Amino acid sequence: MIRFLLGRLVASVLVILAVATASFLLLHAAPGGPFTTDARRSVAVQHAMEERYGLHDSMATQYLRELGSLARGDLGRSMKKDVSVNGLIAEHGPVSAIVGLLGLATAVILGITMGVFAAWKKNSWVDYLLMTLALVGISVPSFVLGPMMIAAISIHLGWLPPARIDGVSSYILPAITLGLIYLGTIARLTRGGMLDALGQDFIRTARAKGLPERRVIWKHALRVGILPVVTYLGPATAAMISGSFVVEKIFQIPGLGTYFINSITDRDYPVLTGVFVFYAAILVLLNLAVDLAYGVIDPRARRT
Amino acid sequence: MLARGVRIAALVVVLAACGVPDGDYFGRVDRAEAKHLRWCNQGEPDFLDPARASSTVSSPLISLMFDGLTTYGPDGLPVPSLATHWEVSDDLQTFTFHLRDTARWSNGRAVTAYDVAYAATRVLHPLIASPNADNLLPVAHAMDYFQRRVFRLRADVGGLHAGDLVDRTDDVTIPDLATRTAPAPLALRDLGADEPAAYARVPAGEPVLLIATSGTTVTPPSPTDGTWAYVYWARDAEGVYGWVPARELTGEPFAATQVHVKHGATAIIATGAQLAYTPDVVGIRVIDAHTIEFTCADPTPFFLATTDNRALRTVPTEAVSRWPSRWTRPEHVITSGPMHLVAWIERDRLELVRSPTYWNPGEVKLDRLTAYSMDDQAANTNYYFTGGCDATASNDVPSTYLPVLNGEQRGTPYKDYDVSPYLGVYFLWVNTQKLPNRHLRRALALAIDRTQIPKFTHGNEIPTAQLTPGTPIAKLSPAELATCGVTRETPGVALLMSAGLCYVPPPGLALDLAQARAELAQARAEGGVPPKLHYIYNAGSEAHKQIAEYAQAAWRGLGLEVELEAQEWNAMLEATRKGDFEIARLGQVGNVADTESEFLPLFTCDSPDNRGRYCNQDYERLLKEARTIRDRAARNATLRHAEQVMIEDAPVIPIYVYTQKHLIKPYVRDYPINLIDQPSLWRVSIDQGSTR
Repeated sequence: MIRFLLGRLVASVLVILAVATASFLLLHAAPGGPFTTDARRSVAVQHAMEERYGLHDSMATQYLRELGSLARGDLGRSMKKDVSVNGLIAEHGPVSAIVGLLGLATAVILGITMGVFAAWKKNSWVDYLLMTLALVGISVPSFVLGPMMIAAISIHLGWLPPARIDGVSSYILPAITLGLIYLGTIARLTRGGMLDALGQDFIRTARAKGLPERRVIWKHALRVGILPVVTYLGPATAAMISGSFVVEKIFQIPGLGTYFINSITDRDYPVLTGVFVFYAAILVLLNLAVDLAYGVIDPRARRT
Repeated sequence: MLARGVRIAALVVVLAACGVPDGDYFGRVDRAEAKHLRWCNQGEPDFLDPARASSTVSSPLISLMFDGLTTYGPDGLPVPSLATHWEVSDDLQTFTFHLRDTARWSNGRAVTAYDVAYAATRVLHPLIASPNADNLLPVAHAMDYFQRRVFRLRADVGGLHAGDLVDRTDDVTIPDLATRTAPAPLALRDLGADEPAAYARVPAGEPVLLIATSGTTVTPPSPTDGTWAYVYWARDAEGVYGWVPARELTGEPFAATQVHVKHGATAIIATGAQLAYTPDVVGIRVIDAHTIEFTCADPTPFFLATTDNRALRTVPTEAVSRWPSRWTRPEHVITSGPMHLVAWIERDRLELVRSPTYWNPGEVKLDRLTAYSMDDQAANTNYYFTGGCDATASNDVPSTYLPVLNGEQRGTPYKDYDVSPYLGVYFLWVNTQKLPNRHLRRALALAIDRTQIPKFTHGNEIPTAQLTPGTPIAKLSPAELATCGVTRETPGVALLMSAGLCYVPPPGLALDLAQARAELAQARAEGGVPPKLHYIYNAGSEAHKQIAEYAQAAWRGLGLEVELEAQEWNAMLEATRKGDFEIARLGQVGNVADTESEFLPLFTCDSPDNRGRYCNQDYERLLKEARTIRDRAARNATLRHAEQVMIEDAPVIPIYVYTQKHLIKPYVRDYPINLIDQPSLWRVSIDQGSTR
């Protein structure tokens, strides 16, 4: 177990290094820089602004400087706003995490329930209805779903605010929009996993023992049937809690997702590397959690 | 682009679901709060520090918080503020401002001429690297100081005298001569404060940068015996500034560094110990605590018009010194303007309240202002619709909503929707090096019928063939028509400037297909027409694409083949800056109602912003000539002649004057919409009586 964890740790560091390097190289390869502008500006001022952030140093120097501060746990300083990237993540990360966790809860609770019922009532109208809904959830992008909900619920009915996070009620629409993206996939994965599980010997044994069907489904089959969902949840959770650009943009949530896009258009090198490294770290961590969860959920996966 | 997809989908769906709302007003009008303006700004301000801010989002907030010599009047033209009056020298080079003695910072300290000088020299210090330094370009030696190219001699050297200004003549990189060290720890504090009042302590031997000394033409005199020094210590990424007695700074690490300098015709080699890098070289002089003088290198009639901008907004020395990059946070900020910042929730909102110390409380109609920082147009418009904000900034309406708001769809526009001209022009650069044939460029300009364009952009833009933007002449008042010397029937726009002046730009190359064909025939005869033209525009906006296709169609009508290419914004800016294009869509926005400072400089041979690489000696000569003319009307005539020469050469094809689109609830009174989009929001009032 210790060896397993140590191996994963080394791999994680390599992954983060690769992410930092790739984001550095790709963004620096893009034309323009953080101070590229269409405004009138003298050469002297342009030069001074770039000089302030060391943009005239060689690429190697800039890269090593970035790695150096990364090694100290310092993600650098935004060139557009002159604040520390660690501070940006600390301030905006929790907002994304809350919306993400609410979305995750919506997706997991509804998705698994739908999947179980669909598998249970396989090929009935219940199955068809639920899986059609799931398909809609997968196919309708959030930039259509979000505005539709704003139109109906905020503008037309006036029940919930159309934008900003201000009070508990303002979390509802973003959480549902975010959750619905993942709900469909979770429902379909659950249904598939459950169908697999329900066909296995230990289920026949459980039924033969005379267990009530409800217990067979929710206690025995679900434990195995949920495994594909658990695998999927690692990356899905990472994506959700680190902020969805689209949902944050539509609902104007001051979360982290915005920085994934804006730091690219702004060429704000430290912010881009910072948020991607942060995201990579969460992803690595959650995948590890998924591996460990396998052992807990499925007795067959335990390492001896 | 994803963002564009989001916007378009948002609106199409909203409109489909709800239809077009009925009534005179767009959305709810029953949520007014007494003396509280809830304003939808158009994004998160980049900085609230006047020296560092460069976005249009931060400007209205900065003018609420920090007073200037002048400030924006309701019409956007400067009105006296800190300065009650001023004198201008006959040669238009020296400007002397007299400050009121009733102005106070929010901590009670008097706002003085030294605060103005501090703000201006701070903008010019290379350590700040202010994007607004160019605003002070006309001030004598401002840019030399900014580039560390000018010094004051500290001793007599090689025939020159102590106090003489010398310019560097070489371009080798030298260490910062202002570096100093001290054998004992330095206690950084406010000027004249006792040592225990220090807020930062520099360890012995640690280098600091000497920024200024006390008692110069730009710094307050020392309240104690002996000179004080204002230094910067790079403690961390933010650093800290403070005053210490100058005698404590004995170490000069670069005293022996040699620098080639000259004064007039005398060139010498001086050492670091003989050169002082100091802000008093700049043409700014504090005469007394309530009088300040600016000296420009050339006659600069537009200098007064720039005194309300960010570069000359006062900033509080005591807060800036302690927290150089965090001083605008609510917990640290000290303000001099009509309103004071009490909360700043990043990417959500700012809360401002009436400042109890502002010198002109009668003009402040609001007790409270909330500025929402949403950057999505659909979100802002939706938020306005549901009554979340009372008014929106100038660019908060998504293009897909425009036909609904302006009445194209339901016959009548909403009463709370306003479209006004904006001091900006949408144009196409034509690269004169890639397309050197003047007849070809003229044919391109003459072939476009600009009047059709607003029919598909829906923003009520003002079609134009003129470079300098302004207000349509048809909309001027009789008095303004008289000022401009035109009749209402005159086509085009006019730019109303301060001091009762008006600039009427030359007509330019408007649609004339017969002439376009003639010019093109001439160009072909001269072999100046390439088989295919290349047109680039920035991806992400439907309007840019539509305008590109419209121009393509017009030019095809002449028999020209045109290839369109959408590029990412930064990529396009780089390509155009390097001259790597034939035709490119861009635009120019002015911060001041003066074409001489805002629009005409784009076309001088050595301008870094001259993307079309246009260079015409007649144009250069006329601009230079204009600079020497003191009579402003005569000067305008020469400028107009210069613009005429340029626009006839067609290095640029103006398309339309931008418009600003505001949504303003009926209970909001005196919302100051003006050409340069500098709304003085403190003048707004809320009339709850008119709430339905």
